[in-house]
Amino acid sequence: MLTFKLAFRNLFRNTRRTILTSVLISASLIVLILVDGLMLGMTNVMIGGITHTLEGEAQVVRKGFRNNFEVEYTIDDPTSVINQIENSKAVEGYGPRVIIGGMIASSYNTTGSLVYGVDAQQELRVSRISEAVIEGRYLSGGSREILIGKPMADLLEVKLGDRLIITAATVDTNEITQELFRLSGIFEFGPEEMDKNLVFINLDKAQSVLGMKGNLHQIAVRFIDPEDAKNPELPLFKQLTNEENEALGWLNLQPSIGAMIEMSSYATAIVGTILFLLTSLGVINSMFMSIYERIYEFGVAKAIGTTPWQIIQLVLFEALLLALISCAFGLTLGYLLGDYFSINGIPMGKMEVSGVLLDGNLYTQLALYQFVNFPIYVTLLTLAAAIYPATFASRIVPTEALQRAL
Amino acid sequence: MFRLLLLLSLTCPAIASEERAREIIDEMEQLYRGDSSDATMTMQVQTPNYNRTLTMTAQSFGKDYGFFRIQAPKKDRGIATLKRDEEMWNYFPKINKVIKVPPSMMMGSWMGSDFTNDDLVKETQLIDAYALALIETEDEYKVTLTPREQTVTVWDRIEYTISKDPLLPLSQAFFDDDGEKIRELTFHEPKEYYGKLMPSILEMRPLNKEGHLTRIMYDDIKFNVPEITKDTFSLRNLKSRF
Amino acid sequence: MLTFQIAFRNILRQKRRSLLTGLSMTGGYMLFVLGYSILEGSYGNAIDIFTLDNTGHIQIHQDDYLDRPKIYKTIQNRDQVELALTDDPDVQSFTPRVFSPALAYAGDRTAPSRLVGIDADLEPTVSRLLQKVSKGTYFSSLPNTDGYYEAMIGRGLHITLKLEVGDEIVLISSGGDGSIANDIFVVSAIIGNKTSFDRMAVYLPLAAAQEFLSLGNDVHEYVLLVNNKDHNEKIANELSAQLPELTVSPWQKVEATFYRTMQADRQGNYFTMGLIIFIVFIGVLNTVLMSVLERTREFGVLRAIGSRPMQLVRLISLETFIMAFISVTVGLLLILPIIYWSAEVGFLLPEPIDMGGIKFQHLKGEMSARIFWIPMAFILATAVLISIPPGFRAARILPKEAMGSH
Repeated sequence: MLTFKLAFRNLFRNTRRTILTSVLISASLIVLILVDGLMLGMTNVMIGGITHTLEGEAQVVRKGFRNNFEVEYTIDDPTSVINQIENSKAVEGYGPRVIIGGMIASSYNTTGSLVYGVDAQQELRVSRISEAVIEGRYLSGGSREILIGKPMADLLEVKLGDRLIITAATVDTNEITQELFRLSGIFEFGPEEMDKNLVFINLDKAQSVLGMKGNLHQIAVRFIDPEDAKNPELPLFKQLTNEENEALGWLNLQPSIGAMIEMSSYATAIVGTILFLLTSLGVINSMFMSIYERIYEFGVAKAIGTTPWQIIQLVLFEALLLALISCAFGLTLGYLLGDYFSINGIPMGKMEVSGVLLDGNLYTQLALYQFVNFPIYVTLLTLAAAIYPATFASRIVPTEALQRAL
Repeated sequence: MFRLLLLLSLTCPAIASEERAREIIDEMEQLYRGDSSDATMTMQVQTPNYNRTLTMTAQSFGKDYGFFRIQAPKKDRGIATLKRDEEMWNYFPKINKVIKVPPSMMMGSWMGSDFTNDDLVKETQLIDAYALALIETEDEYKVTLTPREQTVTVWDRIEYTISKDPLLPLSQAFFDDDGEKIRELTFHEPKEYYGKLMPSILEMRPLNKEGHLTRIMYDDIKFNVPEITKDTFSLRNLKSRF
Repeated sequence: MLTFQIAFRNILRQKRRSLLTGLSMTGGYMLFVLGYSILEGSYGNAIDIFTLDNTGHIQIHQDDYLDRPKIYKTIQNRDQVELALTDDPDVQSFTPRVFSPALAYAGDRTAPSRLVGIDADLEPTVSRLLQKVSKGTYFSSLPNTDGYYEAMIGRGLHITLKLEVGDEIVLISSGGDGSIANDIFVVSAIIGNKTSFDRMAVYLPLAAAQEFLSLGNDVHEYVLLVNNKDHNEKIANELSAQLPELTVSPWQKVEATFYRTMQADRQGNYFTMGLIIFIVFIGVLNTVLMSVLERTREFGVLRAIGSRPMQLVRLISLETFIMAFISVTVGLLLILPIIYWSAEVGFLLPEPIDMGGIKFQHLKGEMSARIFWIPMAFILATAVLISIPPGFRAARILPKEAMGSH
């Protein structure tokens, strides 16, 4: 095709300029991929932190329980609920829990706490409690086992093996009950509110001490596909939500997180727009320069009968070619960099935030749409940026152009 | 056969001494209670931040029923505590309310002192909940109480020292899991009340906090008071001012 | 200066080229500034959410009250403190507070609560408490007609204790002198929503709280707002020197977890900023390089008529600098009102974000000196630096070759 050959030749007549412009375009693509990858990575860390640490991707609770955490609000018909969860193909794991406020006392001190009775084995597939244990051992079903956070251990001045008493009110008769435990593990999740206040004991022990007769306050669920948690129409949610109970994904459980993620993607969109505008300017500049210096040629072309439309086609084709070459380059480099950063983290130095909730480095995450949609955007952008220069070129008056010597 | 006899002879004194320990402790517990009691006392609480002196009246019936009512200072006059079995209630005259002591307050201090609400509820369980071992010296009995498997307590052991003659408590020391003495209750100045000799001053000293001391001084105490029965310890009586 | 005049005339001679180059740099500058403003602004937003809600910019306590609150750790020399704060020109406003855990009772229901004694008049100058009143009215510091002091309760207490405006609430706590504090208050307002940090709080007028807790005239905390929150830590240090017996903590210490998380998040944003800078750099590189290299023939002519190499280099750098300066200045004038708008009003988010009872719907940018002069310095420096090497190359080329090029 003549146009193709012409466009190709025109581009490489001024290789330097072509390369410079191409660098600009591919840089934009790379930056887009990396920024998006970073946002994705950060979002996932945040979501993962919240849903996988303790809360779960979804929960089943009694309606009203989330209002005030009152202990009478136990899940209705827990056996049936658990059956349905076990039979669901979407579920990776679930953790049945009892949650109650109580006082915890040592020989030294006493403080308030939120006591979680959990099934040690089941929790492994839903939450990261076991990963948070820094001293001693994770729960294994022993009746006097208890896990407390490091700040709480410091406040109570206890070490592994020491006595701890939990005082609470029974669920069935509202009488005061006390139980003895021996500190079996100390954990550190990271956030103070968790480490200062949470206490973990075995589920059956909690149920017996609190007179719960097999009842539960909460079932945390993790799905095989994390996207399921965001889907309010998920069959499992519909099945389990009735007059008594509700089954909710984390978006509903923690709406403020959803809002923050939206704000974050909004900011990314703005940054993306900025990048595009910067790039367009560069492309327009470059195309104009190239047309400008070929004004004589264009004048000749028009003089010998090339139609304006043909000239537009030519310029646009040049732009298209430029875009395609740049995208090829940008995709390759973008993939390499994105992949590298997804494994090694971005080079901004380590942070002191440790613990299970927030990882040390920030990682990018690659996604297919980054490599399909973005190049398309960039190509279209380049074409759009070339429209003005193209129309300008098509309108060149041959007589004026032929007079220009420079 | 011979070995069996040897074994038996070795354990018998232990069994005998456990029983003796039980008797001694039982007597000590009875000392302040009788079948029923009616007392007036002064409680001094010293901390690095404040000193407080309360006078109050206290009645008891058996091990499970108790009343405490503050007489002075004027600001707190009429505040009362009722204990029945393992439950406790407080009454506040200023707002005319009876409040059942919830779990969150159980481990908290009673009336601002170094005794906890829990202490008041649990004080009578020493014999049942602990295993006892007795050591005799020339002047004293030392009973070491170790909590049983099921006993819910923060203490790894309690050492109860009792003088032989007169048979009066000298001290209770509370130890944590490391064997460190965390607090100590000491008994002083025996006096005679209606023919009964007993220490008139009790001091509870937490050893892990500096400058804290609670001293209870018995001004008067009567035993086996006929007007006091189980029914005296009712919520309605909690509210009335006597 | 002749060079200056020549430089200027050169710029004006090639209007289109100069315009394009200029536009590129103006656009790059404006977008750089906008991106910078938004990225920094998002943190300003987040910090404001925290600090203006309750924490304030700086807090003053006795000893280690912040880490281990005990009722007897009080600030006693109030006159001295308040004098220091009033006299300090950096302090915008301050208010005292008193705290204690308390048991709240209504009917036969009980819940643990947090008693907060506040100065009814000063508190709204430091926090958003007034705007968080969702039912009822903000209380007055005087007892009502029946002789009861009024209390404002958090929504959690409203739900758990089923308390409405006008109901009585009983509070039991420990006084600073060891006595048992007990009293009745009347609910005048309900504060915030279910997720507010103070959902279990009971706000009382300061004098009522002090009397209730037998604290005399002492308080636990002073919270202050400063005029320039960027100097927060410096101001805190200065105050600390003035009040040596007390502990002065900037919000970075009070909300340490949030601060660390924010810093971590910031790393991600620096990376994004770095990428924007990279794109701007490539854009400037592109335009400046092209415009210098395209004029090789022109420079050849100049050399042929006797200009010395260094003169040429100086000329080129000066031209570039003037261009850049004009572009950036134009950009500054154009972007200034936009940044001002974004800082005052902000970008409207598609959905409001709810943070514990306070709704935000605007993404605000930051308005400060650094977001204007840093991009300016960068572009000016980059432009001039980039123009030098090709300038040298152009200066050294033999006139004959130069004029032969196109």
